[in-house]
Amino acid sequence: MNLVEIITAKPVLIGLHLGFAILAIDAFLWLLGEMSQTPRKSRRLRLAALVGVIGYIVSWLAGGYYYVKFYGALVKPIIKAGEAPWVHNIIMETKEHIFLFIIPLAVTAALIAWLKEEDWQLLNIRRPSLVLTGFVAGLGLLIGLMGFIISATVRWGGGA
Amino acid sequence: MDKPKLIYASALSATLTAVFVTVLTIVAELNPAVKDWLKSLSGHHWTSKSILSIVLYIVAFGLCYALKHHIDARKVGISIKLAIWSAVLGIIVLLFFFTAHNFGWL
Repeated sequence: MNLVEIITAKPVLIGLHLGFAILAIDAFLWLLGEMSQTPRKSRRLRLAALVGVIGYIVSWLAGGYYYVKFYGALVKPIIKAGEAPWVHNIIMETKEHIFLFIIPLAVTAALIAWLKEEDWQLLNIRRPSLVLTGFVAGLGLLIGLMGFIISATVRWGGGA
Repeated sequence: MDKPKLIYASALSATLTAVFVTVLTIVAELNPAVKDWLKSLSGHHWTSKSILSIVLYIVAFGLCYALKHHIDARKVGISIKLAIWSAVLGIIVLLFFFTAHNFGWL
């Protein structure tokens, strides 16, 4: 088994998708804390933002590959034939599309983290920036909750 | 690089991306021909939406940055709020749309 086969194996993809999403959510919560400090510490801000954006990108790629390659063939039929087909029709359909909002929002928050202290003071964007950063973390949590509902349906609601 | 202008361009492009994904998703669900066209682009409708949304974000980012000459603090603040609200509304609209679609209300 080579490295590509290991990385693209189903449990590894799910682990990468979930693990990097958790890392990204934590990083954006960290960024929220750093952004609320006065004065802001630029090295920590940039590190948190960078980890957050990379985390979401890796989670998106791993989750996207799993979704396209395995979900439709292996998971979706179980949910659709089970006790709660609405979980695919509503939760999964919404989840897969709102994920596409995250990367542009995360990059925007990261660009704010790259502002120099004097520009940050001058622009007076503290409140919308904190809301945006918290929203990026919250959206990740919402998508995680949707993922839990989908996994739980396959485990316990699939009619098995 | 003008950092406030970068933030403004990114926030406006994020707004545009959220609107694009929401509208394209609903149109594709209601028009099988559009969904088939998306599938034909990459083999899967979601992959095509992902690629198109990222391309749109990058192109819009570049255009917003290049075309706007002066960005004041107020515009940067408004662009960030627009990005947040477009995503919030996109989530509500998509959740409502797929709920309505599931229960046959549409």
